Amino acid sequence: MQMLSGNMMRMLMAGAAVTMVTAMAPQAFAASPADTLVEGFAIDDIISVDPAEAFELSTAEVTANAYSLLVRLDPAKTSEVQPELAESWTVSDDKLTYTFKLKPGVKFASGNPLTAADVAYSFERAVKLDKSPAFLLTQFGLTGDNVAEKAKATDDLTFTLTVDKPYAPSFVLNVLTSTVASVVDKKLVMEKAKPVTPTAEYKYDTDFGNEFLKTGYAGSGAYKVLAWKANEAVIMEANPNYFGEKPKLKRVIYRHMKESAGQRLALEAGDIDVARNLEPGDLDAIAKKDGLATVSAPKGTVYYISLNQKNANLAKPEVREALKYLVDYDAIGATLIKGIGEIHQTFLPKGQLGAIDDKPYKLDVAKAKELLEKAGLKDGLTVTFDVRNTQPVTGIAESFQQTAAQAGVKVEIIPGDGKQTLTKYRARQHDLYIGQWGSDYFDPNSNAETFSANPNNADDGKVKTLAWRNAWDVPELSKETADALLETDAAKRAKIYEDIQRKVLAEGPFIIIFQQVEVAGYSKKLKDYKLGPSFDTNFVAPVSKD
Amino acid sequence: MSDTTHNQETLRQWLLSDRPASRRQARLGRAYIIWQRFSDNKLALLGLMIILGLIFVAIFADQLAPHNPVQGDLRNARLLPPGTAGYLLGTDDQGRDILSRLIHGSRLTLMVIGLVAVIAAPIGLIVGTVAGYAGGYVDAILMRITDIFLAFPKLVLALALVAALGPGIENAILAIAVTSWPPYARIARAETMTFRNSDFIHAVKLMGASPFRIVLVHVMPLCTSSLIVRVTLDMAGIILTAAGLGFLGLGAQPPLPEWGAMIASGRRFILDQWWVAGMPGFAILIVSLGFNLLGDGLRDALDPKEAGQ
Repeated sequence: MQMLSGNMMRMLMAGAAVTMVTAMAPQAFAASPADTLVEGFAIDDIISVDPAEAFELSTAEVTANAYSLLVRLDPAKTSEVQPELAESWTVSDDKLTYTFKLKPGVKFASGNPLTAADVAYSFERAVKLDKSPAFLLTQFGLTGDNVAEKAKATDDLTFTLTVDKPYAPSFVLNVLTSTVASVVDKKLVMEKAKPVTPTAEYKYDTDFGNEFLKTGYAGSGAYKVLAWKANEAVIMEANPNYFGEKPKLKRVIYRHMKESAGQRLALEAGDIDVARNLEPGDLDAIAKKDGLATVSAPKGTVYYISLNQKNANLAKPEVREALKYLVDYDAIGATLIKGIGEIHQTFLPKGQLGAIDDKPYKLDVAKAKELLEKAGLKDGLTVTFDVRNTQPVTGIAESFQQTAAQAGVKVEIIPGDGKQTLTKYRARQHDLYIGQWGSDYFDPNSNAETFSANPNNADDGKVKTLAWRNAWDVPELSKETADALLETDAAKRAKIYEDIQRKVLAEGPFIIIFQQVEVAGYSKKLKDYKLGPSFDTNFVAPVSKD
Repeated sequence: MSDTTHNQETLRQWLLSDRPASRRQARLGRAYIIWQRFSDNKLALLGLMIILGLIFVAIFADQLAPHNPVQGDLRNARLLPPGTAGYLLGTDDQGRDILSRLIHGSRLTLMVIGLVAVIAAPIGLIVGTVAGYAGGYVDAILMRITDIFLAFPKLVLALALVAALGPGIENAILAIAVTSWPPYARIARAETMTFRNSDFIHAVKLMGASPFRIVLVHVMPLCTSSLIVRVTLDMAGIILTAAGLGFLGLGAQPPLPEWGAMIASGRRFILDQWWVAGMPGFAILIVSLGFNLLGDGLRDALDPKEAGQ
């Protein structure tokens, strides 16, 4: 009997462990100080806070609050830009030269004056370092060899940028609102720069202060970055030399917290002021709680299921259309993505130039069956579905699996981590794939280029857009997308994008389901806490606290 | 009436006879004694009831389940609490009835433990008895292989195997089987060592039996009882390992209602909708408890050391 009780103990404990495996203990922090904003935020994606290197969502928020740009996206009217460091700008008649006049008297946090030479240096280092976001600038024809000539300071307060083609000015200016165009303190960065031995890939003898800026700071934004500790926190402090309206709070701390439930508990306990990664259930609970409130803003990310055109069945237009009728958009919108997404079926997120909000598809099993029969697949078909094992995509995939089964489409879900599924997707080896696409910069070209352009459909094609990944060979649409870039009249340009969206909506191998809405739960002690239309417009400077 | 009582009395005497007249009588008598000892233990009977219940539910899952386990009503029946009309144990995040999923999930659970037992126990038995009887180099080699398997924590090795083979319930079963035979081999070897020099083995050998025949016919049957106990006691561990793999997304794949995977998908709702993860957790708890009680009872009943007391 002694052995029996021993066994029982072991097994009871094991059973309990399985039931409670994720119950997390609330961490005990002190209540957040009155002059500090503490945000719970999953910041594990940060690899560097150097604006020339960072291209991650949470870093975008940090650099946007810490660095200044020539022009900034207008949060109130996102199809236009507003001046920041630049007082005014002109575009030459041939649409190749942009001349920016800087505001006088602006200083960096270090006290050094901000001049056109700093702007030119920031462009030069971003292009020469050639990290992930560098393509935003190099797409204008800037290279390590010509950047000094094409992006230069003509006097202390005049900066000129020369591009290689007569692009639409709205496109160029929209791209310049990206954080990669942040202006860094040339003097400070040059002091901190480390010499390196040039190699075949990297032919410069300096690291342009990249090592210093990975965790350091040399900007002129509302807040200074005091420290970034990987998977722990980002700490920012008000910049006394800031040229704009002074930030209200002395300090801003982003605490790394991965799980929604953990953030919710910490917010309820007052340990953090804002919870940034809430799932629908936790969001609901916070909205109902006294003293807490929620805020949301649509972001430039769309979630879609894509159909590989290498699969003979999926390549049939009727099958593509049928599958679009097999997603229960309404139910998904009302449950799985409630509060974190809005049903959206076109590839341009709301807020971007030319975005339309057509929603022709809804769950219609009878219609889907009819279309499948027309395609000669009366008995249905079997396809595999690569799904990353995170929410909300897993939930949506399971819902699609159920609704598709009603029309005889057997969907076999193959779950994997992000890297596995993405590797397979990039190699064009999937049948169905569910993913998200976030605009790289706030311009319609970012999404149009990937959803509707496929210059070379060969397996060794160099331009690996989403259309290429799904082997969707559309030479005419690719040309239309490329031409839209050179349309200088913003209204006409918008019309072209509307047309492209309608074509992709009707024929494309993409079932676009929803546009992401970023949500946050916050304590009502905060005043003026807002989320912007993009990840680099979540400004914390106007936030104050009772 | 009195006739039946009389018959029962004689049957009992016949079974408990000190001098069985036939091999069959001796075997039945032994089984009767074991059953008596087993049924004296109320907890063991409870375990047996749980396991029989599990088997019953698995066989009649189609008749018992009130709803389709894989087709939910996302729009109208999502995350309903237990006790809602029509959904005794509530619904999950896809609007599926949890009770129906648990009922159908019992098939998967039973399949996992059944197949693991069928694969792992014979492998362990063969390796152990061969090593124990042969001795020498054969023993050393087989046991070192066993040691290698024993050197890794079970779940870690299973994880590595499933990661290599690809996720799925079949691969999970294979991985668990591959990781669970070494203890059986150890037990079988230890038992075999105690018999290999006994008189009856020498006698069979003198009669010209081949080593193959000796191991198969005379050694293995003697090892089975301790093996059965061990396998039954391990069943709970197997269920937990399978649930663990399912929880990590490496076992059964959606929409299969595997209990571990159900806990994993319910984990997100643990603060507000405890039943989504809680119900499959209870199911695992009860079935593991059942197997452990049964195993304990069997060990007490089959232990030859207690046979004379």
